[in-house]
Amino acid sequence: MASSLPTLSRALPSSSTKPSSSSVPFRSPFLKINGSTSFTHSSISIASRGTSFIIPRATASAGSDSDETLAKTTFHGLCYVLKDNIDTDQIIPADKACIFPSNQQERDEIGSNALSGLPDFHTTRFVEPGEIKSKYSIIIAGENFGCGSSREHAPVCLGAAGAKAVVAETYARIFFRNSVATGEVFPLESEVRVCDECTTGDTVTIEMRDSGGLLTNHTTGKKYKLKAIGDAGPVIDAGGIFAYARKMGMIPSLA
Amino acid sequence: MASSVISSSPFVCKSSKVKTGMTMTEKILAKASEKSQVVPGDNIWVNVDVLMTHDVCGPGAFGIFKREFGEKAKVWDPEKIVVIPDHYIFTTDKRANRNVDIMREHCKEQNIKYFYDITDLGDFRANPDYKGVCHVALAQEGHCRPGEVLLGTDSHTCTAGAFGQFATGIGNTDAGFVLGTGKILLKRLDRIASNLFNTLNFYNRTIVFEARILNLQVPPTMRFILDGEMPSYLQAKDLILQIIGEISVAGATYKTMEFSGTTIEGLTMEERMTLCNMVVEAGGKNGVIPPDATTFNYVENRTSVPFEPVYSDGNASFVAAYRFDVSKLEPVVAKPHSPDNRALARECKDVKIDRVYIGSCTGGKTEDFMAAAKLFHASGKKVKVPTFLVPATQKVWMDVYALPVPGSGGKTCAQIFEEAGCDTPTSPSCGACLGGPADTYARLNEPQVCVSTTNRNFPGRMGHKEGQIYLASPYTAAASALTGRVTDPREFLQ
Repeated sequence: MASSLPTLSRALPSSSTKPSSSSVPFRSPFLKINGSTSFTHSSISIASRGTSFIIPRATASAGSDSDETLAKTTFHGLCYVLKDNIDTDQIIPADKACIFPSNQQERDEIGSNALSGLPDFHTTRFVEPGEIKSKYSIIIAGENFGCGSSREHAPVCLGAAGAKAVVAETYARIFFRNSVATGEVFPLESEVRVCDECTTGDTVTIEMRDSGGLLTNHTTGKKYKLKAIGDAGPVIDAGGIFAYARKMGMIPSLA
Repeated sequence: MASSVISSSPFVCKSSKVKTGMTMTEKILAKASEKSQVVPGDNIWVNVDVLMTHDVCGPGAFGIFKREFGEKAKVWDPEKIVVIPDHYIFTTDKRANRNVDIMREHCKEQNIKYFYDITDLGDFRANPDYKGVCHVALAQEGHCRPGEVLLGTDSHTCTAGAFGQFATGIGNTDAGFVLGTGKILLKRLDRIASNLFNTLNFYNRTIVFEARILNLQVPPTMRFILDGEMPSYLQAKDLILQIIGEISVAGATYKTMEFSGTTIEGLTMEERMTLCNMVVEAGGKNGVIPPDATTFNYVENRTSVPFEPVYSDGNASFVAAYRFDVSKLEPVVAKPHSPDNRALARECKDVKIDRVYIGSCTGGKTEDFMAAAKLFHASGKKVKVPTFLVPATQKVWMDVYALPVPGSGGKTCAQIFEEAGCDTPTSPSCGACLGGPADTYARLNEPQVCVSTTNRNFPGRMGHKEGQIYLASPYTAAASALTGRVTDPREFLQ
């Protein structure tokens, strides 16, 4: 049954304004549901390693142009769980840093290698061999996520693989800033150690508010508070600092 | 062990609106932001003196610069951008080679003055402009100067803090911004709303590429006071591994690590660089050492650019202070798979190793090779495991082949290494410190155990995911090569 189902990344409509081809969406899967996009209750089947999950689609109320730019931002999907000190070599091994993701082909390639540096005791791969996208749209980790190198390839590969958010206890400085500057993933901070209570493959929902966020693990039924993302939220939402500046009319668009 | 050498615990800094003393880092950032006073947490626009990039991140940074500022955009100042190919040089990897080609095109188009190019990969000596590892080359070519702000698209840019300057690593997007504007916003974007608008207003104004700043948040400073006579068997690498073991790999996140004390005053510039190099391994934003006669002597021999040293005030506020009696410390290593997984070298004497690697921005400088050669010479023995030597730069390589090792009767490092049975020193680059393409010299392609003078030992760092890396000083690395086990260098130096 499962094998006949479409993969999540291709099943969902795009809420992005970026151009995408039908076969290889530029930034996908589109688990993130923006406030401006109205969905009704529905469910999506996800093919996953021979089993299928029925995922209740996150409900996003119709967007109104309120002051709270993040008021309706919700991510929903499967989580991939890691522990402490996941460094940039584990996120994207240095030999893959030759990739210069300036075009779709290399962006796909770097995405397909996301988290490929994890030691083999991580028996579940973030991206299956031969795939471009991960079926996990949310990464949950412990302390000091993204330590090590300053390579921007780290947040880029996660975004290229379809990850929308990382929920960690703390971040290394450069990874956090690179995530915001590029707008590739939301680097969210949890108030407690969520990574010890979640398992890879759990279905989770992140609801973000300006005052903070909430992570719900539907598999365990537990809920966790997230720290407010603050000013970084709208920046990432727009697709990075340059995109945000243009969106706000602060700098002119390039011809 | 640690508690016996640390005498003071962290104390909280006082926040005050009145003008109080500033730390070195605060003074540098105040000057660079044209303010009389800054305090930790301030978000400021900082004038950038030097922006460095290399072959791995340069194409991305220039690509973003062009994408955002236009195909015909010009960098803010072609003499303040230093481009140093060093990461993936001696490889047949097409993309790695392509990245150097991309940088060459950008540098030519932008008239970049300091581009240390390599075109003949068959013989690095045929490339007089080629340097090698960027952080060592920056110092050797006179780009590191007290009181300045240096940014680089590499996390080990913090190395230059050894010269009493503010130096930190940034990503490609930030670098793309600096390329166009010369400015950086020193801050954590999620913290203070009003500054975002300052940022964006600024983008609007600087689209004309006249200014040169980036916005940063002023970091609080942690102070590390290292006093006492440095034992002859200890090196700066032992000191920084000791400290990281103490505060953990996230112990200095977002913070400055300022090193001072009588031990620091006695360190050479290269040893000070080792100390500051690994600040990022504790999560630090930057490391800094007060400049002195040692600093001025090094800098003035390499540049005629005027500089202005600054020092922490007596009443400056520090978020924490640690004091070490260096005379009581012993050689240490960082065990797999984290730089803070500290152990005494002698505690690991039963760990069998497969190879030794001496190289990188951390442990591939002239004095690192001199130290290894000194130990090999003192022992009179041959290495028991393959020992790979990767000089950081062309200058280091020449020193290895030319400078006499003290006490050896005039032998060079290269001669001593050959007698000891080491691999021949290879072409200078970042080499296998970060694994690199599959054909990188000395890359850890098997799940072996390696004692290395490099800076990181995370899983897969030097190539193989199941490889085990013990970070150590050049003395400890050389001693370990002679025994085939992790070895305290005192076995050969006393």
